[in-house]
This record gives sequence, C-alpha cells and structure tokens, in this order.
Amino acid sequence: MTLDILTQIIASGLTLGAMYAVSTVGLSLVWGSLGMLNLAHGGLMAFGGYSAYYAMGALGLPLPAGLLAAILMGGLLGALTYHGAVRFMLRQKAFETNVVIATVGLAFVLENAVLKLFGAQAQRQPLQVEGAIQVGNVVVPLQNILILATALLLMLLVALLLKKSRIGRAVRATAMNREAAQLMGVRVGQIYALVLMLAGALAAVSGVMISSLTGLSPGMGADPMLKAFIICVVAGLGNVYGAVSAALALGLIEALAQFVLGVRFGFATLLLIVIVVLIWRPNGLFGRQQVTRL
Amino acid sequence: MSWRGHLIVGLLSLAIAVALPFVFNINYLVTQVTLAFIYGTVVTQWNLVYGVAGIFSLAQMALFAVGAYAAAMLGFYFGWSLWIAMPVAALITVVVSVLIGLACLRLRGPYVALLTLAIAQVLYLVIVNDTDCYTTEGSGCLPFFGGVRGLTRFGELGFREWLGEDWRLGNYFVALALLALALIFSAVIMRGPLGLAFRALRDNPGLARSRGISRFKYQIWVFALSAFFTGLAGAFYAANYESIGPTVFSFSLLLFLIAMMTVGGIGTLWGPLLGAILLMGTDEVLRDYQEWRDIGLGLLLVFFVILLPQGLVGLINWRRERVD
Repeated sequence: MTLDILTQIIASGLTLGAMYAVSTVGLSLVWGSLGMLNLAHGGLMAFGGYSAYYAMGALGLPLPAGLLAAILMGGLLGALTYHGAVRFMLRQKAFETNVVIATVGLAFVLENAVLKLFGAQAQRQPLQVEGAIQVGNVVVPLQNILILATALLLMLLVALLLKKSRIGRAVRATAMNREAAQLMGVRVGQIYALVLMLAGALAAVSGVMISSLTGLSPGMGADPMLKAFIICVVAGLGNVYGAVSAALALGLIEALAQFVLGVRFGFATLLLIVIVVLIWRPNGLFGRQQVTRL
Repeated sequence: MSWRGHLIVGLLSLAIAVALPFVFNINYLVTQVTLAFIYGTVVTQWNLVYGVAGIFSLAQMALFAVGAYAAAMLGFYFGWSLWIAMPVAALITVVVSVLIGLACLRLRGPYVALLTLAIAQVLYLVIVNDTDCYTTEGSGCLPFFGGVRGLTRFGELGFREWLGEDWRLGNYFVALALLALALIFSAVIMRGPLGLAFRALRDNPGLARSRGISRFKYQIWVFALSAFFTGLAGAFYAANYESIGPTVFSFSLLLFLIAMMTVGGIGTLWGPLLGAILLMGTDEVLRDYQEWRDIGLGLLLVFFVILLPQGLVGLINWRRERVD
C-alpha cells in the first residue's frame, strides 16, 4: 500500500519534473548567455501549445507534425524577440532591468494574441497518446512516459549541442565573456539570436507537454513560467545542468506536497522554498559566487 | 529643473486638478481621475525604490494590497472607522515592506524581481486558496481574508452623509491630497541626503560603500519610506470602492503601473505622475477597442524601453540640454 503511494508520487513527480526541466533549460540558457530574464517565456509556452493544437486540429496533420509546428513557432518567436527588441537594447546601460520590462510587454502581446486568435475558452490538446502500463498496482498513463522520454531526449540533445558542437562552444564562450568571445571572432549577435530561438523552441515543446495534461488556455504559461523561474533560482540562474536536477527534485517535492498537504498547497510550498533559498543562498544552490571587482 | 520650476509646475497642476471636477462635473470622469490619483501616488513611491535607489522590486502592488486589506480587515473585524484604519494600515505596510527589504538585502538585479514576484504570488495564493469559513455572519461563509470574492461592508468614509449627491467629490479631493503629499514627500527625499545616498548606491555601489554609505541602512530606509504612501493609497483604494478583492494582485495591473513609470520617465520626480495621467487617458480613449488594449499596452512598453528608456521626461530634459 505504502509502496503504491510512493510509486504514484514518484511517477507523477518525475513527469512534472521532466516538463519543468524542458521549460527551465530554455530560461536558464537565455539568462546564462545574455543576462536576460525572459518574462515572455510563458507566452511562448502558450503559443507552442496552440500551434500543435492548430496543426493537428484545424489542419488535421499527424502527431509528429504537431510537435514540429510547435518547435518551428517557438524558434520563430525567439528570433523575432531578438531581431524585434533585444538587439536594440544590448548597448543600454540598464540592460538587465530594461530587458525585463520589454519582455513583460512581449508577454502581454503574446498572451493577448492567443486570446484573439483562439478565444478564451479552454481547449483539449489533441497531441495525446492513449493507453497506460501497470507498475506494481499503479497505473501509469503512456502520456506521462512519452513526456518523460521526450524530455530526456531533448535534454540530451541540448547537452550534446552545448558540449560537443562548434556552435555550442561559441555559446559557452559568449556566456563566459561577451567581449573576449567577440574578439576571437564569434558573431555574438548570431549566437544571441540562436540561443533565443533554441529557448523559444524548448518553451514551445514544454507548452505542448503541459497542455496535454492540463488543457489549453491563453494564460496557461503563467504558472509553469513562475515554476521555471523558481527552479532557475534554486539552481542558480544560468546553471543549465543544475537546472535539470533542480527541476526533477522540485517536481518530486511538489508531488509530495500535493499528496501530504493537498493539491492547492503544492505551488505555495514551491514558492516558500524559493524565498528561503534566495535569502539563505542569494546565488542559488549551485550558483557561482559572484565576485565583484571594484 | 530649479526649485521654482518645480513649484510652478506643481501649483499649475494643482490648480487644474482642483478646478477639473467643477468645470466637468461628470460622475464617471471624477471616479476615473480619482483612480488616476491613486495609481499616481503608488508610482511616485515605487519610483523611489526602482528609479532612485535602482532596486528592481515588483512588490509594490503587493504592498498596495497589504494596505488595502489591512484597512478593510480593521474596519470589518474590529469596526474601526476607516479614517483611523487607513493610517494604521499604512504603518502595517511599512513593517511588511521592511521585512521584504531585509529578505532582498543580499540579492541583486533580476533576483530581486524574482523574489518580490514570488512573495506577491504567495500572498495572492494564501488569499485565494483559503476556503475555510472564518465567519459565517452576514452573507454566509467568509474566509479570513475574504477569499476570491474579497471583502465588502467594512464601512465608508462618510462623504455621502456630509455632501449628499456630491460624495464622489469628497473622495476626489482626499485622493488629490494623498497624491500631493506623496509627491512632496518623494521630492523632499529625492533632493535630500537620503536621495543622494540612494542614487550613489544605484550608480556606483562600490564607490558609495567605500565612502561609508551603508547599503544595509539605506536599503531598509527606501523600503520603509516608499511603503507608507503606497499602503495609504491601497487603504484609500479599498475605502473608495468600499470593497477589496484579490484582483489587485493581477499581472495586468502590475504591468499597467510599470508602463506608467517607463513611459513617464523612471527616476524623475514628475515622470511617473505624467505617465499615470497619460496612460489612464489613453486607456479611456481605447475603451471601445478593449480587445486591443492589452496588446497595445505591451507594444507601447517595448517601444519605450527600446527607443526612450528615459521616458518622456528624459526626452524633455535631453532637448533642454541641447538647447542650452
């Protein structure tokens, strides 16, 4: 009996954690390489979810095409964010705070564009797989397993891209030191655009995943985005690998808190964790110590 | 601008504001301008934290809500007159704000924004998710903080009895007085030694600290000082509408007020107020195109941050410098 409950908590905790990891990695990459807190991330998630919905529902395309549509839309919006706003602001003195305000504006545009295009009522995400498997006495839906597998695959691809490829090296170099990378011949502008496109695509995929469990609505990105921020903060903004482990850990904690304290206190527990972590370790659990030279 | 310049602008605006409800005595206009004054009060205080001290706190609307809820609950549970409950609520807000300031002490830049956003969200969730009945008197089950429906029937300011049909004018002039005091308050702080210390810590924290300016001390000061009129504005907001609900925590309202500061000019004395008046006005004009309002607001914000990060007042100052 106890074991069944534990299996249940672990199964739903891992699914939550995997979804969070996908959305968090995008945020963390953007912060790590651009020093930019992207509050439009939730809007990107909603757009991704609705792109899959449109491709599969209105156009009648098969499942992989739905996912592909979300990825393309996310990448496109990422590129638009860079070429429409961020590139003009990089030289501003107060870039870090101004860009947050700009992305708040973008978030509003995205959310209301979804509202105008698809209406306010909640929709069912057609990107679903039916069926379930039995683990002990617990039934785990195939959808959860698909989410977990997709998330792991994406994390692996991102890690390979960052660690092994030429572009990945350029991204890491830019994150370390923008000027030095530029002097070594890295086209910093292109790298920034690429990082925002990648983050947009990851946000869109996580939007599809989340909406397959909770349904589609224009404001669906708000809560997951806040959770992604929490995970980023706990891991230390910009720490991509810390973000993945923190996402899984927090997914499990949330599932546990929902079981012990009731569903409505799961999110509140997460928020309390972030407040405590920020006060105790201002740079996050795995964040680098910021040494400021005067 | 010189002291005389500020004085002239201030007196002119005051004269217009006093004359306005007598020239156009339209109920709707009076209520909306009252609301503009309330928001104006909040942004002039938020500007002290964000613009002058350079701390990117998003907690201001949560503090506004603390003031509003404190006043409403003092009136509802203890039957206090709102005239006493409002200043007490403002003092409660100061205490809460100092606690938030302490929590933010070791953080910088966007981390402050994240922490303050998380705090605001916790307050919202505590209010909305609490469904246990605290009292069942009157209109049935009521959670301690009023839950999703919020609190009503906690008293009023008494202008209906005193002014009869013109009771809205009473609220209007209280809001105007609140705004004027808040503006003078922030002008005195900005021009005084405190403002100098805030700006020094914003522009060059290392140099400021090496000159003996304590970041700890001044950060607590700015959180405390900016909270008083914010809390008072919140309390008056509750009194003005005779109800308060969790909608004051909405992201849309937060965005609206950030946009006011950005459009007007962050860190300047008149900028936030100018932004408040302009955006409230634009909002009215766009009322018939409600569905485009939020998209327009978002695009406006992006436009200003990219092209005019100093806002309209920054633009005016830049032109004046060029002419000089």
